[in-house]
Amino acid sequence: MEQLNNAFTLFLSLLVEAIPFLLLGVLLSGLLLFFVDERKLVKLAPKNPILGAFVGSCIGFLLPVCECGNVPVARRLIVQGVPLPVAVGFLLAAPVINPIVIWSTWIAFRDQPEILWLRVIFSLLIATIIGWIFSRQGDVKSLLQPAVALSMAKPLSEEDPEKPTLLRSGNFMLGGGESLEAKMVASLERKPQFSLAERGNMLLDNTMQELRELGGILVLGSALAALIQTFTPRELILGLGQGSVSSVLAMMLLAGLISICSTVDAFFALSFGGAFTSGSLLAFLVFGPMFDLKGIGLLLSVFKPKAIFYLFALAAQLVFLLTLFVNFNIN
Amino acid sequence: MLLISRLFKGLDKNWLDAIAVTAWGALLLNYWLNGSLSILIHPSYFWLAAFTGFALLIIGSIKAYLLFKYPQAKPSAAGHVSLLPGNWAIGLLLVTAIAGLLINPRVFTSSKAIQGGVTENSAITRSQPQSFRSQVKPEKRSLVDWVRTLSAYPEPDTYSGQQANVSGFVVNSTELGSNYLLLSRFVITCCAADVYPVSLTVKLPADQQYKADAWLAVTGQMITETIGGNRQLILVAKNIKPIETPRNPYEH
Repeated sequence: MEQLNNAFTLFLSLLVEAIPFLLLGVLLSGLLLFFVDERKLVKLAPKNPILGAFVGSCIGFLLPVCECGNVPVARRLIVQGVPLPVAVGFLLAAPVINPIVIWSTWIAFRDQPEILWLRVIFSLLIATIIGWIFSRQGDVKSLLQPAVALSMAKPLSEEDPEKPTLLRSGNFMLGGGESLEAKMVASLERKPQFSLAERGNMLLDNTMQELRELGGILVLGSALAALIQTFTPRELILGLGQGSVSSVLAMMLLAGLISICSTVDAFFALSFGGAFTSGSLLAFLVFGPMFDLKGIGLLLSVFKPKAIFYLFALAAQLVFLLTLFVNFNIN
Repeated sequence: MLLISRLFKGLDKNWLDAIAVTAWGALLLNYWLNGSLSILIHPSYFWLAAFTGFALLIIGSIKAYLLFKYPQAKPSAAGHVSLLPGNWAIGLLLVTAIAGLLINPRVFTSSKAIQGGVTENSAITRSQPQSFRSQVKPEKRSLVDWVRTLSAYPEPDTYSGQQANVSGFVVNSTELGSNYLLLSRFVITCCAADVYPVSLTVKLPADQQYKADAWLAVTGQMITETIGGNRQLILVAKNIKPIETPRNPYEH
C-alpha cells in the first residue's frame, strides 16, 4: 500500500510538471500556424545538401511540432518541392529543436545543463548527417511513395495560386479528408474564408484534440515511469542503468516503445536520472523523438518501407555511438 | 482499460473533452490552493501549474459553453489520426483527473528512501553534488547542509563536538543497531520524480525508539564513531521532538 501511494505521488508529479508544457506546446504550434507561411520557407530552402539538411533541422523553431505533427509537415514540405535533405532534417530534428522542448529539458535537467546542449547538438548533427546521406540518392523517387513522388513532379507554380498552402497536394493526413491544420492555414489566405470567431473556434478545437491525444499518451507514459521506479528492484535498475552499453540500449528500447511527446519526455527521462547513465538519458531524449512507433503508419504515407528502415537504422546507430562516447568520455 | 473504453463509449466526445480539460484545470488549481503542489513539484514551478490550471479551466469552460450554445455544430477536426483507440485517451485523462481530485497525493515514505539508496553511499543517487553553505553556523545547518558539507569535506573529526539542530523523517536501517536511526530528507530539483534521499545517522538515548516515517526535530552533538568498519559522523541526540510533516517536505 505504501508503495502504491509512492507510485501515485510520482505519477501525479510527472503529470503536474508536464501538463503545462504540453499545453504551451499545443498552443504555440496552433498559433504559429496562423503566422508562419510555409511557402516562404520552401523558397528559402538551400540547395546545398548539408546546408539544406541543417536548415531543415532548424525549421522546428518556426514550426514547433512534436513527433506527432512533424510527419504531415515534412510531407507537405516534400510535395511543395523542398529538397529531400531539408525535409529529412526537419523530420528528425523538429521535435527537439523547438522552444518549448528546449525549455522543458532545461527545467528538468537544470543540474546537468550538458544534457540540454548535447540533446540539441546531437539532434542537429544526426538529422544533418542523415539528410546529407539521403541526398546522395540520385533518384529520390525510389525512396518516396508513388503518390508523393507524383505530386513532386508537378511544379508548385502550376497549382492555383489562390489555393491555400495546406489545401494543395499532399496536405492531407492518412485518414483522408481535410485536416484541421489545413483549415487553420486556409484562414490566413487573402480571400478570407473564415471569420475571426471561426479561426478562434478552430484553434480551440485543435487545442482540445491535441490535449486529448497527447495527454492520453502522457498519462500512460507517466504511469509506466512511476511503476518502473517504484516496483522494479533497485539492484536490477542499477545493474542495467550503470552499464555504459546496457543503459544506452535499454533507454533506446524504452524510447522506441513509449511514444511520449517530446515536449514532456525530459520529465520522463528525469525519473531515471539517479540510476541511469547520462549517455543513456541522452539516448532516450535524442532517439525518442526521431523514432516513434505510432508514427510509422504516417511515415509510410511519405516514404517507401526501405527508406524508413534506413532512416531509423542510421538514426539508431548514430545515437548509440554518440551517447556511448558520452558515457565513456564525458560522464 | 476495457472498462474505461466501455464507460465512455457512446458519450459525446466533445463533451468528454470539455469535461476532462476542465477537470484538469480544477485539479491543478485545487493542488495549488490546498498546498499539495509542494508534495509534487519544486516551488519554482508552482506559478506554472497554477497558470495552467486557470488556462485549462477557461479553455474547457469556453468549449462547454460553445457546445451548449451550438449543440448541432460539428467539430472542425475532421481527418484526424488518433493515437489511442476510441475514447481511451480522453477516458485516461478524465479518470486520472477524478482520481487526483478524490485522492490527495501523500508525502513519500521511508520505503521510497530505501529504494532510493539512503542506506548506501549516496553518491550514486545524486546526479551532481550541490552547492553548500560552509559559512553557516553548525547549529543553523539543515540536514541537507550537513550532508553537502560532509560530501565536500568528508573527514568526520572536523565536525566532532559541533552542535546540530536538524529535522527529518525516520528511516530504520537493519544495518545499524536498534539505538540508531537515519534521519532523512528528500531533495527535489524539478518534481517528485527526481527526488533523492539524504540522511544523517542519529544515535538515540538508551530507551527510545521511533517508528519509520515519523517526523522528528533532533538536537544534539556530533561525534565520530565506527559502525560496520566505517568511521562516520554520528549525531548523538540530546533532545528529540516529534513534529508534524512539514508543509513543504522537500529540501532544495
